[in-house]
Amino acid sequence: MAAPMELSCWGGDWGLPSLHPESLTVMAYAKFSGAPLTVNTINSSWRAPKGDVPVLISKDVVISQPARILNFLRKQKYNADYELSAKQGADTLAYIALLEEKLLPALLHTFWVEAENYCSVTKPWFASRIPFPLSLYLPGKMSREALNRILLTRGGPPLYSLTEVEAQIYRDAKECLNLLSKRLGTSQFFFGDTPTTLDAFVFGFLAPIYKVCFPRVQLQEHLKQLPNLCRFCDDVLTCYFRLTVSGHSPAGQDTADANLQKLTQLVNKESNLIEKMDDNLRKSPQHPPRKLTTLKLAAGGEESSPLNRLSP
Amino acid sequence: TLCFQAFLQMCNLPIRVVCRANAEYMSPSGKLPFIHVGNQVVSELGPIVQFVKAKGHSLSDGLDEVQKAEMKAYMELVNNMLLTAELYLQWCDDVTVEEITHPRYGSPYPWPLNRILSYQKQWEVRRKMKAIGWAGKTLAQVLEDVDQCCQALSQRLGTQPYFFNKQPTELDALVFGHLFTILTTQLTTDELSEKVKNYSNLTAFCRRIEQQYFEGHDKDSSATVTAQSAKRSLLR
Repeated sequence: MAAPMELSCWGGDWGLPSLHPESLTVMAYAKFSGAPLTVNTINSSWRAPKGDVPVLISKDVVISQPARILNFLRKQKYNADYELSAKQGADTLAYIALLEEKLLPALLHTFWVEAENYCSVTKPWFASRIPFPLSLYLPGKMSREALNRILLTRGGPPLYSLTEVEAQIYRDAKECLNLLSKRLGTSQFFFGDTPTTLDAFVFGFLAPIYKVCFPRVQLQEHLKQLPNLCRFCDDVLTCYFRLTVSGHSPAGQDTADANLQKLTQLVNKESNLIEKMDDNLRKSPQHPPRKLTTLKLAAGGEESSPLNRLSP
Repeated sequence: TLCFQAFLQMCNLPIRVVCRANAEYMSPSGKLPFIHVGNQVVSELGPIVQFVKAKGHSLSDGLDEVQKAEMKAYMELVNNMLLTAELYLQWCDDVTVEEITHPRYGSPYPWPLNRILSYQKQWEVRRKMKAIGWAGKTLAQVLEDVDQCCQALSQRLGTQPYFFNKQPTELDALVFGHLFTILTTQLTTDELSEKVKNYSNLTAFCRRIEQQYFEGHDKDSSATVTAQSAKRSLLR
Protein backbone atom coordinates (compact mmCIF):
# COMPACT_ATOMS: atom_id res chain seq x y z
CA MET A 1 0.00 0.00 0.00
CA ALA A 2 2.50 2.58 1.14
CA ALA A 3 6.18 2.91 0.38
CA PRO A 4 8.29 0.28 2.13
CA MET A 5 9.19 1.38 5.63
CA GLU A 6 12.41 0.56 7.38
CA LEU A 7 12.99 0.84 11.10
CA SER A 8 16.46 1.11 12.53
CA CYS A 9 16.64 0.19 16.17
CA TRP A 10 18.53 -1.65 18.84
CA GLY A 11 18.30 -5.41 18.78
CA GLY A 12 17.05 -7.71 21.46
CA ASP A 13 17.99 -10.42 23.86
CA TRP A 14 16.52 -12.39 26.75
CA GLY A 15 13.46 -13.18 24.69
CA LEU A 16 12.76 -9.57 23.70
CA PRO A 17 12.87 -8.18 20.17
CA SER A 18 14.65 -5.11 21.48
CA LEU A 19 16.20 -3.89 24.71
CA HIS A 20 15.57 -0.24 24.07
CA PRO A 21 12.18 0.93 25.43
CA GLU A 22 11.47 3.37 22.63
CA SER A 23 12.41 0.90 19.90
CA LEU A 24 10.24 -1.71 21.57
CA THR A 25 7.30 0.70 21.70
CA VAL A 26 7.51 1.38 17.97
CA MET A 27 7.88 -2.31 17.10
CA ALA A 28 4.92 -3.23 19.29
CA TYR A 29 2.75 -0.54 17.73
CA ALA A 30 3.68 -1.70 14.25
CA LYS A 31 2.61 -5.24 15.16
CA PHE A 32 -0.63 -4.07 16.73
CA SER A 33 -1.62 -1.95 13.78
CA GLY A 34 -0.37 -4.39 11.15
CA ALA A 35 2.13 -2.00 9.62
CA PRO A 36 4.66 -3.80 7.42
CA LEU A 37 7.99 -2.69 8.82
CA THR A 38 11.36 -4.10 7.95
CA VAL A 39 13.33 -3.99 11.14
CA ASN A 40 17.05 -3.43 10.90
CA THR A 41 18.78 -3.99 14.16
CA ILE A 42 21.91 -2.02 14.63
CA ASN A 43 24.90 -4.28 14.63
CA SER A 44 28.60 -3.88 14.30
CA SER A 45 28.62 -3.27 10.58
CA TRP A 46 29.95 0.11 9.72
CA ARG A 47 26.57 1.86 9.51
CA ALA A 48 26.71 3.57 12.85
CA PRO A 49 23.48 4.80 14.48
CA LYS A 50 22.98 8.42 13.58
CA GLY A 51 21.06 10.60 15.96
CA ASP A 52 18.21 9.28 18.02
CA VAL A 53 17.27 5.66 17.74
CA PRO A 54 14.69 4.37 16.68
CA VAL A 55 14.63 5.90 13.22
CA LEU A 56 11.97 5.24 10.62
CA ILE A 57 12.94 5.65 6.98
CA SER A 58 10.28 5.65 4.30
CA LYS A 59 11.31 6.81 0.84
CA ASP A 60 13.16 9.98 1.78
CA VAL A 61 11.33 10.78 4.97
CA VAL A 62 13.36 10.26 8.13
CA ILE A 63 11.52 10.39 11.44
CA SER A 64 13.08 9.87 14.80
CA GLN A 65 11.05 10.10 17.99
CA PRO A 66 8.52 7.39 18.92
CA ALA A 67 5.61 9.83 19.17
CA ARG A 68 6.37 11.23 15.72
CA ILE A 69 6.90 7.76 14.23
CA LEU A 70 3.53 6.66 15.59
CA ASN A 71 1.88 9.78 14.14
CA PHE A 72 3.42 9.00 10.77
CA LEU A 73 2.15 5.41 10.89
CA ARG A 74 -1.32 6.65 11.78
CA LYS A 75 -1.30 8.99 8.79
CA GLN A 76 -0.40 5.99 6.61
CA LYS A 77 -3.62 4.42 7.88
CA TYR A 78 -1.99 2.02 10.33
CA ASN A 79 -4.06 3.05 13.28
CA ALA A 80 -4.35 0.88 16.35
CA ASP A 81 -6.58 3.40 18.12
CA TYR A 82 -9.36 3.27 15.63
CA GLU A 83 -11.96 2.02 18.05
CA LEU A 84 -11.11 4.25 20.96
CA SER A 85 -13.50 6.93 22.15
CA ALA A 86 -12.31 10.52 22.53
CA LYS A 87 -12.04 10.13 26.28
CA GLN A 88 -9.95 6.97 25.91
CA GLY A 89 -7.66 8.84 23.53
CA ALA A 90 -7.24 11.53 26.19
CA ASP A 91 -6.55 8.86 28.82
CA THR A 92 -3.84 7.43 26.53
CA LEU A 93 -2.00 10.75 26.47
CA ALA A 94 -2.28 11.11 30.23
CA TYR A 95 -0.97 7.62 30.99
CA ILE A 96 1.92 8.04 28.55
CA ALA A 97 2.86 11.24 30.39
CA LEU A 98 2.70 9.31 33.66
CA LEU A 99 5.04 6.64 32.26
CA GLU A 100 7.54 9.20 31.02
CA GLU A 101 7.57 11.20 34.23
CA LYS A 102 7.50 8.46 36.81
CA LEU A 103 8.77 5.24 35.28
CA LEU A 104 11.34 6.35 32.74
CA PRO A 105 13.84 7.86 35.23
CA ALA A 106 13.99 4.61 37.18
CA LEU A 107 14.27 2.59 33.97
CA LEU A 108 17.15 4.76 32.78
CA HIS A 109 18.77 4.43 36.17
CA THR A 110 18.52 0.64 36.22
CA PHE A 111 20.04 0.37 32.76
CA TRP A 112 22.57 3.16 32.60
CA VAL A 113 23.43 4.62 35.97
CA GLU A 114 23.40 1.76 38.46
CA ALA A 115 27.10 0.90 38.41
CA GLU A 116 26.88 -2.87 38.71
CA ASN A 117 24.15 -3.17 36.08
CA TYR A 118 25.86 -0.82 33.68
CA CYS A 119 29.29 -2.43 33.88
CA SER A 120 28.25 -6.03 33.81
CA VAL A 121 25.29 -6.00 31.46
CA THR A 122 24.40 -2.81 29.62
CA LYS A 123 27.80 -1.60 28.50
CA PRO A 124 29.09 -4.92 27.12
CA TRP A 125 25.79 -5.61 25.40
CA PHE A 126 25.61 -2.26 23.62
CA ALA A 127 29.34 -2.17 22.94
CA SER A 128 29.11 -5.51 21.16
CA ARG A 129 26.55 -4.04 18.80
CA ILE A 130 28.28 -0.81 17.90
CA PRO A 131 31.19 -0.70 15.47
CA PHE A 132 34.64 -0.08 16.89
CA PRO A 133 35.83 2.59 17.75
CA LEU A 134 32.44 4.10 18.53
CA SER A 135 31.82 1.26 20.95
CA LEU A 136 34.39 2.81 23.24
CA TYR A 137 32.60 6.13 23.32
CA LEU A 138 28.88 5.73 22.68
CA PRO A 139 27.80 3.65 25.70
CA GLY A 140 29.56 6.11 28.00
CA LYS A 141 27.80 8.99 26.29
CA MET A 142 24.41 7.31 26.63
CA SER A 143 25.10 6.71 30.29
CA ARG A 144 26.02 10.34 30.88
CA GLU A 145 22.92 11.52 29.04
CA ALA A 146 20.73 9.26 31.16
CA LEU A 147 22.25 10.57 34.39
CA ASN A 148 21.90 14.11 33.15
CA ARG A 149 18.27 13.64 32.35
CA ILE A 150 17.53 12.12 35.74
CA LEU A 151 19.32 14.87 37.63
CA LEU A 152 17.90 17.74 35.63
CA THR A 153 14.30 16.60 35.79
CA ARG A 154 14.20 15.12 39.27
CA GLY A 155 17.31 16.20 41.06
CA GLY A 156 16.47 19.65 42.36
CA PRO A 157 16.42 20.55 46.06
CA PRO A 158 15.35 19.24 48.61
CA LEU A 159 17.05 16.17 47.16
CA TYR A 160 20.69 17.02 47.36
CA SER A 161 22.56 13.78 46.88
CA LEU A 162 22.35 11.15 44.19
CA THR A 163 21.21 8.50 46.67
CA GLU A 164 18.24 10.62 47.69
CA VAL A 165 17.30 11.18 44.06
CA GLU A 166 17.63 7.46 43.41
CA ALA A 167 15.41 6.60 46.38
CA GLN A 168 12.79 9.07 45.19
CA ILE A 169 12.73 7.89 41.56
CA TYR A 170 12.40 4.25 42.58
CA ARG A 171 9.54 5.15 44.93
CA ASP A 172 7.83 6.98 42.07
CA ALA A 173 8.42 4.08 39.68
CA LYS A 174 6.92 1.57 42.09
CA GLU A 175 3.91 3.81 42.59
CA CYS A 176 3.55 4.12 38.83
CA LEU A 177 3.64 0.33 38.45
CA ASN A 178 0.96 -0.02 41.11
CA LEU A 179 -1.23 2.55 39.34
CA LEU A 180 -0.82 0.75 36.02
CA SER A 181 -1.70 -2.54 37.61
CA LYS A 182 -4.86 -1.06 39.13
CA ARG A 183 -5.82 0.46 35.81
CA LEU A 184 -5.25 -2.78 33.89
CA GLY A 185 -7.20 -4.87 36.41
CA THR A 186 -8.22 -8.16 34.89
CA SER A 187 -8.71 -7.13 31.28
CA GLN A 188 -6.36 -8.35 28.61
CA PHE A 189 -5.32 -4.94 27.31
CA PHE A 190 -5.79 -1.46 28.66
CA PHE A 191 -8.81 -0.66 26.53
CA GLY A 192 -10.59 -3.97 26.19
CA ASP A 193 -9.59 -6.82 23.92
CA THR A 194 -7.53 -5.11 21.25
CA PRO A 195 -4.15 -3.49 21.90
CA THR A 196 -3.70 0.23 21.31
CA THR A 197 -1.00 2.89 21.50
CA LEU A 198 -1.06 2.84 25.29
CA ASP A 199 -0.45 -0.91 25.30
CA ALA A 200 2.53 -0.36 22.99
CA PHE A 201 4.04 2.25 25.32
CA VAL A 202 3.42 0.24 28.48
CA PHE A 203 4.87 -2.87 26.86
CA GLY A 204 7.89 -0.91 25.63
CA PHE A 205 8.64 0.34 29.13
CA LEU A 206 7.76 -2.77 31.13
CA ALA A 207 9.24 -5.57 29.04
CA PRO A 208 12.90 -4.55 29.48
CA ILE A 209 12.39 -4.32 33.25
CA TYR A 210 10.66 -7.67 33.25
CA LYS A 211 12.98 -9.71 31.11
CA VAL A 212 16.51 -8.39 31.26
CA CYS A 213 18.64 -10.14 33.88
CA PHE A 214 20.46 -7.57 35.93
CA PRO A 215 22.43 -8.04 39.13
CA ARG A 216 20.46 -5.25 40.86
CA VAL A 217 16.79 -5.85 40.26
CA GLN A 218 14.59 -4.02 42.76
CA LEU A 219 12.25 -2.77 40.06
CA GLN A 220 11.93 -6.22 38.50
CA GLU A 221 11.10 -7.74 41.87
CA HIS A 222 8.39 -5.17 42.39
CA LEU A 223 7.01 -5.82 38.92
CA LYS A 224 6.89 -9.55 39.56
CA GLN A 225 4.57 -8.89 42.49
CA LEU A 226 2.03 -7.47 40.03
CA PRO A 227 0.93 -10.60 38.16
CA ASN A 228 -1.47 -8.87 35.78
CA LEU A 229 1.32 -6.70 34.36
CA CYS A 230 3.59 -9.75 33.92
CA ARG A 231 0.77 -11.59 32.23
CA PHE A 232 0.25 -8.57 29.95
CA CYS A 233 3.92 -8.59 28.85
CA ASP A 234 3.91 -12.32 28.27
CA ASP A 235 0.68 -12.13 26.25
CA VAL A 236 2.07 -9.46 23.93
CA LEU A 237 5.31 -11.39 23.48
CA THR A 238 3.65 -14.68 22.66
CA CYS A 239 0.90 -13.25 20.48
CA TYR A 240 2.73 -10.60 18.56
CA PHE A 241 6.40 -11.35 18.74
CA ARG A 242 6.75 -15.01 18.03
CA LEU A 243 10.45 -15.29 17.43
CA THR A 244 11.80 -18.17 15.37
CA VAL A 245 14.76 -20.24 16.54
CA SER A 246 17.27 -17.87 14.95
CA GLY A 247 15.78 -14.95 16.86
CA HIS A 248 14.35 -13.12 13.86
CA SER A 249 10.59 -12.72 13.52
CA PRO A 250 9.12 -14.15 10.29
CA ALA A 251 8.24 -11.31 7.99
CA GLY A 252 4.94 -11.19 6.16
CA GLN A 253 2.92 -13.85 7.88
CA ASP A 254 2.76 -11.96 11.16
CA THR A 255 -0.74 -10.57 10.88
CA ALA A 256 -2.23 -13.86 9.78
CA ASP A 257 -0.50 -15.63 12.62
CA ALA A 258 -1.55 -12.99 15.08
CA ASN A 259 -5.18 -13.41 14.05
CA LEU A 260 -4.89 -17.15 14.33
CA GLN A 261 -3.41 -16.75 17.79
CA LYS A 262 -6.26 -14.46 18.81
CA LEU A 263 -8.80 -16.94 17.50
CA THR A 264 -7.14 -19.83 19.31
CA GLN A 265 -7.11 -17.81 22.49
CA LEU A 266 -10.80 -17.01 22.18
CA VAL A 267 -11.67 -20.65 21.56
CA ASN A 268 -9.58 -21.66 24.55
CA LYS A 269 -11.30 -19.08 26.70
CA GLU A 270 -14.71 -20.34 25.62
CA SER A 271 -13.79 -23.90 26.39
CA ASN A 272 -12.46 -22.85 29.78
CA LEU A 273 -15.75 -21.11 30.48
CA ILE A 274 -17.71 -24.18 29.50
CA GLU A 275 -15.54 -26.30 31.77
CA LYS A 276 -16.09 -23.90 34.63
CA MET A 277 -19.85 -23.87 34.10
CA ASP A 278 -19.87 -27.59 34.03
CA ASP A 279 -17.86 -27.76 37.25
CA ASN A 280 -20.24 -25.36 38.92
CA LEU A 281 -23.23 -27.40 37.85
CA ARG A 282 -21.78 -30.57 39.26
CA LYS A 283 -20.55 -28.98 42.47
CA SER A 284 -23.78 -27.14 43.31
CA PRO A 285 -25.56 -28.55 46.38
CA GLN A 286 -28.25 -31.23 46.13
CA HIS A 287 -31.16 -29.00 47.28
CA PRO A 288 -33.63 -29.56 44.45
CA PRO A 289 -36.00 -32.60 44.70
CA ARG A 290 -35.24 -35.93 43.15
CA LYS A 291 -36.86 -35.25 39.80
CA LEU A 292 -34.47 -32.42 39.11
CA THR A 293 -31.52 -34.44 40.38
CA THR A 294 -32.03 -36.96 37.62
CA LEU A 295 -32.37 -34.16 35.08
CA LYS A 296 -29.13 -32.62 36.33
CA LEU A 297 -27.29 -35.89 36.09
CA ALA A 298 -28.49 -36.26 32.55
CA ALA A 299 -27.37 -32.73 31.77
CA GLY A 300 -24.03 -33.50 33.42
CA GLY A 301 -23.75 -36.59 31.24
CA GLU A 302 -24.45 -34.58 28.09
CA GLU A 303 -21.92 -31.94 29.03
CA SER A 304 -19.19 -34.39 29.83
CA SER A 305 -19.01 -35.90 26.34
CA PRO A 306 -18.17 -32.61 24.55
CA LEU A 307 -15.80 -31.91 27.43
CA ASN A 308 -13.96 -35.12 26.69
CA ARG A 309 -13.65 -34.09 23.08
CA LEU A 310 -12.22 -30.69 23.98
CA SER A 311 -9.72 -31.66 26.59
CA PRO A 312 -6.47 -32.99 25.19
CA THR B 1 0.68 29.95 42.04
CA LEU B 2 -2.93 30.06 41.11
CA CYS B 3 -3.41 26.32 41.29
CA PHE B 4 -2.34 26.35 44.92
CA GLN B 5 -4.68 29.18 45.77
CA ALA B 6 -7.48 27.37 43.95
CA PHE B 7 -6.73 24.13 45.75
CA LEU B 8 -6.68 25.77 49.16
CA GLN B 9 -9.84 27.70 48.40
CA MET B 10 -11.51 24.47 47.36
CA CYS B 11 -10.61 22.98 50.70
CA ASN B 12 -12.16 26.05 52.33
CA LEU B 13 -8.93 27.07 53.96
CA PRO B 14 -8.30 30.81 54.30
CA ILE B 15 -5.05 32.04 52.78
CA ARG B 16 -3.15 35.28 52.37
CA VAL B 17 -0.94 35.90 49.36
CA VAL B 18 2.34 37.70 49.90
CA CYS B 19 4.96 38.59 47.30
CA ARG B 20 8.59 38.58 48.33
CA ALA B 21 11.72 39.11 46.30
CA ASN B 22 13.69 36.38 48.00
CA ALA B 23 10.85 33.91 47.92
CA GLU B 24 12.89 31.31 46.05
CA TYR B 25 15.43 31.24 48.82
CA MET B 26 12.86 31.04 51.58
CA SER B 27 11.27 27.97 50.11
CA PRO B 28 12.63 24.67 51.45
CA SER B 29 12.85 23.14 48.00
CA GLY B 30 13.84 26.25 46.09
CA LYS B 31 10.57 26.10 44.23
CA LEU B 32 7.71 28.51 44.39
CA PRO B 33 5.15 28.85 45.76
CA PHE B 34 5.19 27.58 49.27
CA ILE B 35 2.89 27.89 52.25
CA HIS B 36 3.82 29.01 55.70
CA VAL B 37 1.59 27.58 58.40
CA GLY B 38 2.37 28.20 62.06
CA ASN B 39 5.99 27.15 62.23
CA GLN B 40 5.92 24.80 59.24
CA VAL B 41 6.90 25.59 55.69
CA VAL B 42 5.78 23.32 52.87
CA SER B 43 6.41 23.77 49.16
CA GLU B 44 5.29 22.14 45.91
CA LEU B 45 1.88 20.75 45.12
CA GLY B 46 2.52 17.12 46.10
CA PRO B 47 3.74 17.80 49.64
CA ILE B 48 1.17 20.56 50.17
CA VAL B 49 -1.65 18.19 49.23
CA GLN B 50 -0.33 15.61 51.64
CA PHE B 51 0.12 18.19 54.37
CA VAL B 52 -3.46 19.37 53.95
CA LYS B 53 -4.64 15.78 53.89
CA ALA B 54 -2.83 15.06 57.15
CA LYS B 55 -4.69 17.97 58.69
CA GLY B 56 -7.95 16.36 57.70
CA HIS B 57 -8.91 18.02 54.42
CA SER B 58 -8.82 16.01 51.23
CA LEU B 59 -10.52 16.51 47.91
CA SER B 60 -10.00 13.10 46.38
CA ASP B 61 -11.43 10.82 49.05
CA GLY B 62 -14.50 10.08 47.05
CA LEU B 63 -12.55 8.57 44.15
CA ASP B 64 -11.98 4.85 43.70
CA GLU B 65 -8.55 3.37 42.91
CA VAL B 66 -8.85 3.49 39.13
CA GLN B 67 -10.04 7.10 39.24
CA LYS B 68 -7.17 8.06 41.49
CA ALA B 69 -4.78 6.47 39.00
CA GLU B 70 -6.44 8.48 36.23
CA MET B 71 -6.19 11.67 38.22
CA LYS B 72 -2.48 11.16 38.84
CA ALA B 73 -1.95 10.41 35.15
CA TYR B 74 -3.74 13.60 34.08
CA MET B 75 -1.79 15.65 36.59
CA GLU B 76 1.43 14.30 35.08
CA LEU B 77 0.13 15.17 31.62
CA VAL B 78 -0.51 18.75 32.69
CA ASN B 79 2.89 19.00 34.33
CA ASN B 80 4.63 17.38 31.42
CA MET B 81 2.98 19.34 28.60
CA LEU B 82 1.63 22.61 29.90
CA LEU B 83 4.32 23.40 32.42
CA THR B 84 7.13 22.55 30.03
CA ALA B 85 5.45 24.52 27.25
CA GLU B 86 5.09 27.54 29.54
CA LEU B 87 8.75 27.27 30.51
CA TYR B 88 9.75 26.90 26.87
CA LEU B 89 7.77 29.95 25.85
CA GLN B 90 9.14 32.01 28.68
CA TRP B 91 12.78 31.08 28.35
CA CYS B 92 13.54 29.52 24.98
CA ASP B 93 11.60 31.71 22.59
CA ASP B 94 13.97 34.58 21.92
CA VAL B 95 11.39 37.27 21.31
CA THR B 96 9.48 36.57 24.51
CA VAL B 97 12.69 36.29 26.49
CA GLU B 98 13.97 39.67 25.42
CA GLU B 99 10.78 41.63 25.75
CA ILE B 100 9.05 40.10 28.73
CA THR B 101 10.87 37.50 30.74
CA HIS B 102 14.22 39.18 31.34
CA PRO B 103 12.73 42.48 32.53
CA ARG B 104 10.13 40.73 34.68
CA TYR B 105 12.50 38.21 36.30
CA GLY B 106 15.19 40.76 36.96
CA SER B 107 12.93 43.58 38.11
CA PRO B 108 13.47 43.34 41.87
CA TYR B 109 17.23 43.59 41.48
CA PRO B 110 19.58 46.41 40.48
CA TRP B 111 21.74 46.21 37.38
CA PRO B 112 23.84 44.11 36.68
CA LEU B 113 22.40 41.54 39.05
CA ASN B 114 19.12 41.41 37.18
CA ARG B 115 20.83 40.47 33.91
CA ILE B 116 23.09 37.90 35.53
CA LEU B 117 20.31 36.17 37.41
CA SER B 118 17.99 36.00 34.44
CA TYR B 119 20.72 34.66 32.17
CA GLN B 120 21.55 32.05 34.76
CA LYS B 121 17.93 30.97 34.99
CA GLN B 122 17.67 30.90 31.21
CA TRP B 123 20.74 28.70 30.93
CA GLU B 124 19.31 26.34 33.53
CA VAL B 125 15.98 26.04 31.74
CA ARG B 126 17.64 25.48 28.36
CA ARG B 127 19.76 22.70 29.80
CA LYS B 128 16.67 20.99 31.10
CA MET B 129 14.91 21.33 27.76
CA LYS B 130 17.89 19.75 26.04
CA ALA B 131 17.87 16.81 28.45
CA ILE B 132 14.23 15.98 27.83
CA GLY B 133 14.45 16.49 24.09
CA TRP B 134 12.48 19.72 23.78
CA ALA B 135 15.43 21.80 22.64
CA GLY B 136 14.95 20.67 19.06
CA LYS B 137 11.31 21.69 18.99
CA THR B 138 10.17 24.75 17.15
CA LEU B 139 7.55 27.07 18.57
CA ALA B 140 4.98 25.61 16.17
CA GLN B 141 5.62 22.12 17.48
CA VAL B 142 5.33 23.26 21.08
CA LEU B 143 2.02 24.95 20.31
CA GLU B 144 0.83 21.77 18.63
CA ASP B 145 1.69 19.79 21.77
CA VAL B 146 -0.22 22.28 23.89
CA ASP B 147 -3.16 21.93 21.54
CA GLN B 148 -3.09 18.15 21.90
CA CYS B 149 -2.96 18.45 25.65
CA CYS B 150 -5.88 20.89 25.73
CA GLN B 151 -7.83 18.60 23.44
CA ALA B 152 -7.25 15.70 25.81
CA LEU B 153 -8.32 17.80 28.80
CA SER B 154 -11.35 19.09 26.95
CA GLN B 155 -12.42 15.59 25.98
CA ARG B 156 -11.93 14.34 29.51
CA LEU B 157 -13.93 17.24 30.95
CA GLY B 158 -16.76 16.85 28.44
CA THR B 159 -19.88 18.53 29.77
CA GLN B 160 -19.22 17.85 33.44
CA PRO B 161 -18.69 20.72 35.86
CA TYR B 162 -15.42 19.25 37.18
CA PHE B 163 -13.07 16.54 35.97
CA PHE B 164 -14.44 13.95 38.34
CA ASN B 165 -18.05 14.89 38.15
CA LYS B 166 -19.54 16.88 41.01
CA GLN B 167 -16.61 17.49 43.31
CA PRO B 168 -13.50 19.48 42.53
CA THR B 169 -10.21 17.67 43.02
CA GLU B 170 -6.51 18.49 42.90
CA LEU B 171 -6.60 18.00 39.15
CA ASP B 172 -9.19 20.78 38.78
CA ALA B 173 -7.03 23.14 40.82
CA LEU B 174 -3.93 22.33 38.79
CA VAL B 175 -5.66 22.69 35.42
CA PHE B 176 -7.33 25.92 36.48
CA GLY B 177 -4.02 27.38 37.63
CA HIS B 178 -2.27 26.67 34.35
CA LEU B 179 -5.10 27.58 32.00
CA PHE B 180 -5.96 30.79 33.80
CA THR B 181 -2.33 31.88 33.71
CA ILE B 182 -2.15 31.14 30.00
CA LEU B 183 -5.37 32.97 29.30
CA THR B 184 -4.55 36.09 31.25
CA THR B 185 -0.81 36.61 30.88
CA GLN B 186 0.29 39.16 28.32
CA LEU B 187 2.81 37.72 25.90
CA THR B 188 4.20 38.91 22.59
CA THR B 189 1.88 36.61 20.69
CA ASP B 190 -1.57 35.44 21.61
CA GLU B 191 -1.15 32.06 20.01
CA LEU B 192 -0.95 30.13 23.26
CA SER B 193 -4.12 31.62 24.69
CA GLU B 194 -5.84 31.20 21.31
CA LYS B 195 -5.13 27.46 21.50
CA VAL B 196 -6.85 27.26 24.85
CA LYS B 197 -9.72 29.46 23.76
CA ASN B 198 -10.51 26.98 20.99
CA TYR B 199 -11.98 24.72 23.63
CA SER B 200 -15.05 26.42 24.99
CA ASN B 201 -15.65 23.98 27.81
CA LEU B 202 -12.18 24.72 29.17
CA THR B 203 -12.76 28.50 29.21
CA ALA B 204 -16.16 27.98 30.83
CA PHE B 205 -14.49 25.75 33.41
CA CYS B 206 -11.96 28.47 34.27
CA ARG B 207 -14.61 31.13 34.54
CA ARG B 208 -16.75 28.94 36.76
CA ILE B 209 -13.92 28.24 39.18
CA GLU B 210 -12.89 31.87 39.19
CA GLN B 211 -16.39 32.97 40.08
CA GLN B 212 -16.92 30.32 42.65
CA TYR B 213 -13.67 30.46 44.54
CA PHE B 214 -12.14 33.84 43.84
CA GLU B 215 -14.87 36.31 44.64
CA GLY B 216 -12.45 38.09 46.93
CA HIS B 217 -10.16 38.66 43.94
CA ASP B 218 -10.38 42.44 44.36
CA LYS B 219 -9.17 42.16 47.90
CA ASP B 220 -6.24 40.02 46.73
CA SER B 221 -5.15 42.48 44.07
CA SER B 222 -5.07 45.35 46.55
CA ALA B 223 -2.92 43.18 48.82
CA THR B 224 -0.41 42.60 46.00
CA VAL B 225 -0.19 46.35 45.32
CA THR B 226 0.83 47.05 48.89
CA ALA B 227 3.28 44.16 48.74
CA GLN B 228 4.96 45.66 45.66
CA SER B 229 5.57 48.96 47.43
CA ALA B 230 6.81 47.08 50.48
CA LYS B 231 9.26 45.22 48.23
CA ARG B 232 10.76 48.42 46.91
CA SER B 233 11.28 49.76 50.39
CA LEU B 234 13.07 46.48 51.27
CA LEU B 235 15.70 47.25 48.67
CA ARG B 236 16.66 50.62 50.08
